[in-house]
Amino acid sequence: MENSDIILSMTDVNKSFPGVKALTDASIEVRKGTVHAVVGENGAGKSTLMKILSGVHTKDSGTIIFDGETIEHTTPIQSIRRGLSIIYQEFNLVNTLTVGENIFLGRFREMKGLRNSHKKARELLDSIGSTINTHSLVGDLSAAEKQMIEITKALAFDSKLIIMDEPSSSLTADELKQLFVIIDDLRKKGVTMIYISHKLDEIFQLCDTVTVMRDGIIVDTKPIDELTRNDMIAMMIGREIENEWPERPRCAGEVILEVQNLRTKKLKNISFTLKKGEILGFVGLVGAGRTEIVKAIYGADRVKNLKEKDLKQTEHGESNKTKMPDNDIVNTKKAKKLKSGKRMLINGKLVKTRNPRQGIHAGIGLLPEDRKLEGLVLQFSVKENIVMSSLNKISKFGFLDASREKDIADKQIKALSIKTPSPNTKTVTLSGGNQQKCIMGRWLEINPDILILDEPTRGIDVGTKYEIYLLIKKIAENGGSVIMISSELPEVLAMSNRVLTICDGEITGEFDPEVASAHEIMDAAIGGGEND
Amino acid sequence: MTIYTTHIQHRQDTQSFGKKVLKVLGKQKALVAIAVILIAMLFSSTNIFTLSHLRAFLLVASPELVIAFGVTFAVICRACDLSVGSVMSLSGIIAVQMINSGVPVFLAVLMAILSGSVIGFINGFLIVKQKTEAFIITLGMGLLLHGVALYISNGRPVSTRDPIFNAISNTNIPIPVIGYLPSIVVWMLLVGVITFCILRYTSFGRNCYALGGDYEVAEHSGINVVGTKWTAFVITGTCAAIAGVLLSSRFNTGSAVFGELTPLIVNCSVVIGGTSFAGGIGGIVQSGLGVLVMHMLRYGLSMFSIEGAFVSINQFVQTLVIGIVIVSIIAMDCYAIKRKKEDV
Repeated sequence: MENSDIILSMTDVNKSFPGVKALTDASIEVRKGTVHAVVGENGAGKSTLMKILSGVHTKDSGTIIFDGETIEHTTPIQSIRRGLSIIYQEFNLVNTLTVGENIFLGRFREMKGLRNSHKKARELLDSIGSTINTHSLVGDLSAAEKQMIEITKALAFDSKLIIMDEPSSSLTADELKQLFVIIDDLRKKGVTMIYISHKLDEIFQLCDTVTVMRDGIIVDTKPIDELTRNDMIAMMIGREIENEWPERPRCAGEVILEVQNLRTKKLKNISFTLKKGEILGFVGLVGAGRTEIVKAIYGADRVKNLKEKDLKQTEHGESNKTKMPDNDIVNTKKAKKLKSGKRMLINGKLVKTRNPRQGIHAGIGLLPEDRKLEGLVLQFSVKENIVMSSLNKISKFGFLDASREKDIADKQIKALSIKTPSPNTKTVTLSGGNQQKCIMGRWLEINPDILILDEPTRGIDVGTKYEIYLLIKKIAENGGSVIMISSELPEVLAMSNRVLTICDGEITGEFDPEVASAHEIMDAAIGGGEND
Repeated sequence: MTIYTTHIQHRQDTQSFGKKVLKVLGKQKALVAIAVILIAMLFSSTNIFTLSHLRAFLLVASPELVIAFGVTFAVICRACDLSVGSVMSLSGIIAVQMINSGVPVFLAVLMAILSGSVIGFINGFLIVKQKTEAFIITLGMGLLLHGVALYISNGRPVSTRDPIFNAISNTNIPIPVIGYLPSIVVWMLLVGVITFCILRYTSFGRNCYALGGDYEVAEHSGINVVGTKWTAFVITGTCAAIAGVLLSSRFNTGSAVFGELTPLIVNCSVVIGGTSFAGGIGGIVQSGLGVLVMHMLRYGLSMFSIEGAFVSINQFVQTLVIGIVIVSIIAMDCYAIKRKKEDV
């Protein structure tokens, strides 16, 4: 009777990659109609396990029984047809095709034509309560909508088991709620789900059972009620950590950065100040304009130099909503130009940053949101990545000084305790946390007055996160100023001295995180305050 | 936390032997090809393993080597340059025409080389500043310059009798042990060493690799991406013009038909050597090896077409063989890139 209840069981599954044992005797049982969480640090083997299930990798040994059927060799398409879908972090959708086409991609004949495909897609979307038009292009959709399309696609195959790999990483709080509703709904319909996530809160909110993995071993599988948050963290890292966050530094000095009326296509009149030794947190939903603000300051994004008439237009359009008092710079021609773009004072001096090079020159550093896309040259070694921005410091007449280069790399590797076999190891082979530390090392070497950290702990395991918090704290204590953006509210609240909420390209509030409640801040970030 | 360290070291130490060999071969395809060709040549009728053969071989390969050194910069910056052939023929014609109209040799050569730098500068402007596709822009630029070369030479080869100009490439320079080397080879080696040092030991070279590896990242790290890539094209153009001067000096002639196939062959050779079109990988030595492979193929195959060879290969089959080699080597390169991506 137990057997009929279990949709998936894996017994003693082993998998090695050249030189690495990725999975050791992994056994897991997933009961029908539950949401089963799999948690673990980066590199714990979660992804490998799921990839074996979906047929991307082949297991070395062990048995897998799915829906009463023993699975030996499988390919991704076979698994999907068997009723086992996996939704990856990076969506598997064709941006240039429509929603309906994506859902039934490659199955139009089966569906008896495109028109029927769209019709069926509509029904499926309705069934999960989505109103997305099946004829709109997937490329135009938001991350949350794409996720819904992925889920619908899985449903279109009558999936019995849907695996979601970090589904929340690109979603805002609101979208996440929506996702939870859908997942809950599916659970009631008897669909089983495996939910992989770093975010423990979500797991407590959503899942029935938790499997914790560490270093390719399954530590334990337990019903969620029998676990506390600390238990789970302890199992993940193999030890207890006393603090999730270090105590925040408090040494704010005089104003170092003053941004006035920053405007781009997306931003409206952003003005704020940053003090010396301060950690300033930016809170907002994904896409609210947090990243755009810091990119504009750093110089990575072009600030729109609005033409005179555009300026008038926007002013006209906004005049009933917001009117920024900027009488002092309204009249002169030069001032008008500045007003249209941005006015930024660093240490009281007017600074222009039209590209990152000028940004660095002005004393600003930016740790980008996506370390693989904007942070690291992956085929470069750790050493090369660290010294990348400070080449002029270690070169004479354009020639690099190899020994100084090595010194700098060694220094930063030691200071940040980057776990790498040697400075010449390519960064591709490092874990996410160590990659992030390499970029941190690059900035620490330049030692900018203002360091902007955009999602510094995204996709980083718990242990390394704490190390990064300590680093941030140390920077602030040594007189550096930090702007920190994070989607994890507790993290920003615990780390920063001051929090600005951003919504829809505007700053909607300023809070002292020690006084204000998380609820208040989130409310301002969602922009709810204005409507009430 | 120690788990991580051991884990990574473990991964590097225990790579299976077969995989290691494959990895090295994957990286040094050109060396493998050279070895294969050399072994094959043992079966040809003439003994090519002599100093005079080596000299002749290098002499012929020198202009293309010089161009390849330059093109390496463009390719490392994830671009290519198909105008190098026309730059080469044009610079030769400019040098010869100027000498014929009474300009001192030194000045004429300088102007010819500068013409290449200017064309590189324009290429750079169009590709980096205007963000056009390097492939198509340099192809068009190549055609344009071919037109210029035809126009100023009236479509005929132009020649000069100037002994100094002639001496640039055709002096024999005594070298211990191997006797002597033609000066064109020495020039080639000089350009090779300079470009090698620039790419390997300067911050400019490092920045080339960085922006070829990942343009966005390089830009975000504060590297002057525009200036660096632009300069890379200037170097490419300059090298091509130097090759043009060397070639014209060797034959005392400048002609618009020189180098019609050169850009394709050189860009191919660079990739064969292991400087990947994906950018950020490769180097001067690799490019040099790539050009040598191509030349050896041609040289070797022509050996086999001589009467009385152990195996004789029809002349017309030669092109086919060269094509097969290019396609298979590049396919291997792409396969290696694919594997690399999967590793990540």
